[in-house]
Amino acid sequence: MKSVWIISLATIKEAFARKVFIFFLALSMLVLIIMIGTYSMLNADMLIGSINKAGGNASIKEIMSSLELLVISPLSGLCLLLSVFASSSFVPNMLEKGNIDLLLSKPISRNQLIAGKYFGGVLVVFLNIFVLIIGVWLIISLKFSYWDFSFLLSSLVITFTFAVLYSIILLFGVITKSSALGMMIAYFIFIILSPLLLAGRNQFAPLIENDVARKMIDVFYYIIPKTSELMSSGLINLASGRGIVDYQPFITSLLFLLVMLGIAIYTFSKKDF
Amino acid sequence: MNVIETSSLGKVYSSNFGKKNVNALQELSLTIERGQIFGLLGPNGAGKTTLIKILLGITFQTSGTATVLGSELKNYHFKNKVGYLPENHKYPSYLNAHQVLKLFGNLSGKGGAELEKKIDELLALVNLLQWKKTKVKSFSKGMMQRLGLAQALVNDPDLIFLDEPTDGVDPIGRKEIRDLLFNLKSQNKTIFLNSHLLSEVELISDRVGILSKGRLLREGNVKELTERKQEFEILTENFIDEIYLQQSDGIKIDKHEGEVISVRVNSLPDLNSFIDQLRGKNIIIKSIRPLRTSLEDLFISVIKESEGGNLK
Repeated sequence: MKSVWIISLATIKEAFARKVFIFFLALSMLVLIIMIGTYSMLNADMLIGSINKAGGNASIKEIMSSLELLVISPLSGLCLLLSVFASSSFVPNMLEKGNIDLLLSKPISRNQLIAGKYFGGVLVVFLNIFVLIIGVWLIISLKFSYWDFSFLLSSLVITFTFAVLYSIILLFGVITKSSALGMMIAYFIFIILSPLLLAGRNQFAPLIENDVARKMIDVFYYIIPKTSELMSSGLINLASGRGIVDYQPFITSLLFLLVMLGIAIYTFSKKDF
Repeated sequence: MNVIETSSLGKVYSSNFGKKNVNALQELSLTIERGQIFGLLGPNGAGKTTLIKILLGITFQTSGTATVLGSELKNYHFKNKVGYLPENHKYPSYLNAHQVLKLFGNLSGKGGAELEKKIDELLALVNLLQWKKTKVKSFSKGMMQRLGLAQALVNDPDLIFLDEPTDGVDPIGRKEIRDLLFNLKSQNKTIFLNSHLLSEVELISDRVGILSKGRLLREGNVKELTERKQEFEILTENFIDEIYLQQSDGIKIDKHEGEVISVRVNSLPDLNSFIDQLRGKNIIIKSIRPLRTSLEDLFISVIKESEGGNLK
């Protein structure tokens, strides 16, 4: 376990040596500073009054969740895009000739090595997003003098979504020793396939008369991780205190993650370097 | 106790979906005892690095068995007593010399004040103490090699694998590395050395192996391997006239230049009778030494012989 932690720490160090994570951290800080400036000029009671006047009776908790999500939703998407890009080279770098030889010559198992690389990558994204989320939460909670901790759970959903995408990067990194393919597949699933399958299943499937085509969409929907649902309804429900309303996207995505990790670990354990 | 033991070790690399097979190692059986410096020689692609990689679990053997420090290769815990300097080693460029040694020391199970002390000692030993906090990306090839050597020693290993340790190091640095290896040997450490610098291997190794196309062609004590059987050089105090030198059945004079005679004898009693013959003529003998071939000559002849189809 100690070896896994050492590799995880080395991965975090590697991540922060890259400008992408520093850029996102700096962007988070900028957003937080702008928020402090903006909210210091606003009166909380007047804000609640004007929102209610416009759209009916919203509780203070709902208003706070909406304000928090207004900041977090676009930034978490950006964080995931940047994180996929920055983390895609973690495994290929580790597998470079001269580096992997050294790591494998140490008393650490191959499973521990790959696990450390995986947890390190996930941890660095969690730290990055947590700084932003805790900052947004503190600013809004202080402003409204209302403390609801459920918003902090959104950091877990975003990290989980990244963990799913990172498992793809890890697997293709181990197989190809290159960052390009894994990154492209992760982006394809996150930006195109997952939203498309969700829309296909919910909106187009009822219009399709062919049973086989409908079944195909269903099969693909269940196999492919539901990053789109995780980052939309999953994130909103958790952040606004409703908890996990539908477990299916979480469970099927977790299964996908475990399968990817399993294949990656198996492939790595059999590979010659 | 044998530090390394291999039995019929083989490695086949397959490419093009198994259509093309390369035998990187074939039926390699080798034993290395504690406290020895073993030099493995071979042309490029002979399988030297493959052997080290198999022994360290970086590559898997296709056939045969091996143990390192009494452990089977699948049990990775033996590696906490092993150091390794790979050829063309690479360290994360964002780390400095101290951080590199700390990372690999930690991975070897070392830590705390003891590791910090060891890091300083090693950096001083390889003349890098003043570069302790310098990022390794700005290091020269020689500096990287010296850092690699420190890295290989950070866990105070009993067995050290060095793959071309003097690559890119200047002559003074080479001498320092040689001295360091002798020092490690005096501490009963075992050193497995891969090098194509034959003169260097000859200087420091107790035993050598010659590998070609995955086969171990010759293996043994350096002195024994390089000894020219029953050939001696006799140095006398005074010039010897040709008429004093009589060849007999067991003695053949190969060379005679002034006070130096090179003879080939059938047996040691023949040599002694030849010396008696000289002494009988009041010739003063200053020294008698067995003639040796250089490791380089031996290497070339063994490789040529193998290419001619006669192995061993």
